[in-house]
Amino acid sequence: MEEKTKNRFWNGIVEFFKKDLVSYIIKRVLMFIPTLFLISILVFFVIQLPPGDYVTAHIAALASEGEYVDANYAADLRADYGLDLPVYQQYIKWIKDIVWTPTDSAYYRLYHSHHNWKYSFAYGRDVWSVVEERLGLTIGVTAVIMIFQYLVSLPIAVYASTHQYSPGDYITSIIGFLGTAIPNFIFAIILMYLSYKWTGNANVGLFTPEMLQNGIHLYNFGDFLKRMIIPIIVIGTSGTCGIIRSVRAQMLDEVAKQYTLTARAKGVPEHTIIMKYCFRAAINPTVSGLGGVLASLFSGSTVTAMVLNMQIQGPVLFKALQAQDMYLAGAIVMVQAVLVVVGVLISDIALAFLDPRIRYSGGGR
Amino acid sequence: MRKSFKKFAAVALSAMMCVGSLAGCSKSAATDQTTGSTTAAPTTETTQAQTTETTQAPTETEPVDVATYSEAPMLAEQVKAGTLKAVDERIPDKDNIYVDTQDAAGTPLTIGNYGGTINILNGGGSWDLARPSLESIIRYNTDGTYYPNVIKSYEHNDDYTVWTFRLREGMKWSDGEDFTADDITFWYYMCHVNNFDSKASWAALKETVGEEEVFAKLTKVDDYTVTWTFQNPKFPADFIENGDFKWCWAPEHYLNDLIPSSYYVENEYYADTGLSDEQVLANAMAKGIDQATVKDLGKQATYYFWNISGIPTLNAFVLSTNPGNSDRSDDLCIMERNPYFWKVDAAGNQLPYVDALHFIKTSEDGQDQLMFRSGELDFIEVAMHDINSILTDLGDKVKLCEFASTNWGSYQITFNYTNTDKNYADLFANKDFRKAISICVDREKVSGLLSDGFLEPGQCAPSEGNIGYDPEWETKWTEYDVEEAKKLLEGCGLKMGSDGFYDFADGSDFILTLYTYTDSGASDAFPVLEQYFNAAGIKCATKDLEVSAFDTEIDNNNWCAVLGPHTEIGGLSLKSRVAPFVPIQQAAEWYGDYGTYYATGGAQGVAPTGDMAKLVELYEQWKATPVTEERDAITLDIYKIHKENMWTIAYLKAESSYSIVSTNIGNYPELLVHDDLYQYGNMIHYWSLYKAQ
Repeated sequence: MEEKTKNRFWNGIVEFFKKDLVSYIIKRVLMFIPTLFLISILVFFVIQLPPGDYVTAHIAALASEGEYVDANYAADLRADYGLDLPVYQQYIKWIKDIVWTPTDSAYYRLYHSHHNWKYSFAYGRDVWSVVEERLGLTIGVTAVIMIFQYLVSLPIAVYASTHQYSPGDYITSIIGFLGTAIPNFIFAIILMYLSYKWTGNANVGLFTPEMLQNGIHLYNFGDFLKRMIIPIIVIGTSGTCGIIRSVRAQMLDEVAKQYTLTARAKGVPEHTIIMKYCFRAAINPTVSGLGGVLASLFSGSTVTAMVLNMQIQGPVLFKALQAQDMYLAGAIVMVQAVLVVVGVLISDIALAFLDPRIRYSGGGR
Repeated sequence: MRKSFKKFAAVALSAMMCVGSLAGCSKSAATDQTTGSTTAAPTTETTQAQTTETTQAPTETEPVDVATYSEAPMLAEQVKAGTLKAVDERIPDKDNIYVDTQDAAGTPLTIGNYGGTINILNGGGSWDLARPSLESIIRYNTDGTYYPNVIKSYEHNDDYTVWTFRLREGMKWSDGEDFTADDITFWYYMCHVNNFDSKASWAALKETVGEEEVFAKLTKVDDYTVTWTFQNPKFPADFIENGDFKWCWAPEHYLNDLIPSSYYVENEYYADTGLSDEQVLANAMAKGIDQATVKDLGKQATYYFWNISGIPTLNAFVLSTNPGNSDRSDDLCIMERNPYFWKVDAAGNQLPYVDALHFIKTSEDGQDQLMFRSGELDFIEVAMHDINSILTDLGDKVKLCEFASTNWGSYQITFNYTNTDKNYADLFANKDFRKAISICVDREKVSGLLSDGFLEPGQCAPSEGNIGYDPEWETKWTEYDVEEAKKLLEGCGLKMGSDGFYDFADGSDFILTLYTYTDSGASDAFPVLEQYFNAAGIKCATKDLEVSAFDTEIDNNNWCAVLGPHTEIGGLSLKSRVAPFVPIQQAAEWYGDYGTYYATGGAQGVAPTGDMAKLVELYEQWKATPVTEERDAITLDIYKIHKENMWTIAYLKAESSYSIVSTNIGNYPELLVHDDLYQYGNMIHYWSLYKAQ
């Protein structure tokens, strides 16, 4: 009997992947185009909203260093960077060059790339080289933190729901709430202070200057892990409470449902009921939230990253927005937008996998 | 107390020197100055040095006999391995070498040890790497005297039309190529005159002949001598002392394939390279220089050259070529020892002592303090209110060093005299209004509230020890008197409205809107000042803008009043910068659109009238006056007009900058002067700093 159910389930999934999913994915991918187009317009115009442009910001910065610029300098710079064109023309040029820069362009000959994300004024080089520089580290660091979050919060949630109102439930709830209630940046400062007090080193930044010079190797990997402690605790705990609370609540619902009672009455082992049926249903909302995860992998925890001097993408975006370095900011936000769109698709697919009741082709079944 | 006396001494010295006769013209002039300053401030007797003898190595109060050279162990190893020439072949001989024996304040330097790195905060600005490393034509001491630095000597003919620079034979670029007169002609004709460096606006190398602006003629006399020839006399103030004129060289051997044909200007030394813009960008790319346009390339490679990895320099430290450490925006940017650096200490040890400077980036204020405490930075700048806690916590592991300010007071308010609303323009033009704004504030209380009493009450005036210091000026309109202020306001034609605040005579609301820019700290001061203004019947508001938005409003003449910091008014002296004294630049706050008028030759802006116009008149006279004493007299006339008008009001005295320095750094000077002319931190002789072992 059980064997049969299993087969039916698998067949359903296989069938789903064969028929529905392919057409579904194609449809969704086609939808990306208008979505991203709209987002790009929004991004470009919103970035341009604050008064002034990069040139004014740049001249202000020069002036603060005691350097004076003459009257024509600003006008010349604007002409060079194309900032004197009407905004819609700037936008068209921006998008056109990102999508396809022809082989006979000066850009292609210099960089050998068909996608010209333009020039970061503040860094004085190609935008993509700036984004790339921190990409690996950003994804690495945030992935570790994210995994930590799920590894900690899911078991706690299951434990808390199966031991409702036990001391363990209360203790984990309190810790989770504290993690959420204390603003990340304050928590980070407190931990840095404690670290300085106890070890004499505040552990500012992910790397020691030595690592920044020689790179991370086996001999200094321990130091790197030490530096990861504060970010993991700060960013990790901030998300865990949310996950714990929602999964716990869902679990409590599921545990009280009739199918659980039936299964229990039939003598199915308790851990099978919890893990195979209830848990799978309970993480449904968590999985649908995964859509944003990809994007936050790319540029999450900006404020915390700034407080902790972490060398990841968030602070770069912040600085770019501040300095009105619009192509750099635009590139980061656009990449984030793409990741959100893709992330939502992936989470939708994952949901279908988790919960056979969710299908996309509508009607029928 | 000790601190304030020393500060007085240093600033006094600057003043004496700047007002006094020109340094660097003759030996007797230099000696006179040193005597003068010694009388003024006996504690700094050691400032005898740097006689500014123009034909000798600079630091020769007691001739230092450097018999043989020694070098850093890391370089000795390379010599041994055969990858580097011996030290004698790398640096100039005894007659041409620069022997560094004392710091800018005149304190004798101790002989240091080699090795280690110095860790500095990287502020991320274009000049951050230049301050510790840039070597300029001349160098200043805190007393305002100066002496030839990169060049061995300079001299001028009797009528100041021909200036001669002599170079140090045997001096090399950081890649080992000879530094010769060709590097100067190359810079001048291929980088500067053609505006490839985007700085052809420098006044030092130009003059007005008839109606036209023309460049000086540069002539290569021999490999180590060049002359600059002008048609009219070119006086030191406008040439060698001009703060912009910091260098006049570029490595010809490295940059010659980076000059596009589009920038070529006919000259007798160099032919057109014939390179298209695109070829030049590709050549630059091949050298690892990524720039979007040739204009950017020119500016970066020939003006901000210290920021570009690979370009040879004459500086003590050169940017690393290690990927990840070779850009000023990197989290750790490294400047390494230049093996060809042309300075030695009194014992003949080639400088610098340390192997490298590490510039470390932070993303938030205050992180530098944590990193300093963790031992990851060797010195940091600190705000006054943080000094005590750091000194208490770290005790004798650190020392406090000071950069005395040349600013005219702090918490300044200035008004838009070219306001388009006539009501406001007329009101601001009335001196009584400014007086009312000044006397309606209780400076003693403000000092306590805003600076914990660190800053004494003051006015927008030169501080003690500076040129033009005048106790009467410093206390002008500082007596707290609300009733008098109200009387003055009424005298200005304001009428008390039913809401308890003054209105204009025509019944329209008078609101004093004070513009500030974010992170300037000024917005903290607003609530304090607001209560005083309100008490005097002045309704006020504040607008805190991002700095670029702030500048846009100023440029567009769309503002009412500014609560500083803002573009400077006053400073070290006219020799340092003219614009803080005379309205000649594009819209700065204290003179509004009057400056734009001068900067654009009358095409835009508002023509100055009255005393503002008089400032410009005096400045023109100042420029055209060869005799130092007469020029100094004109300077004082300009000061007098400032004192008379008080275009800007300040409430407290100027704030010094402070650094906390780890005591294991040797030769770090305790007291310097913070000024643009001195290039701020460049005054520290970074090559002589060492890390005690």
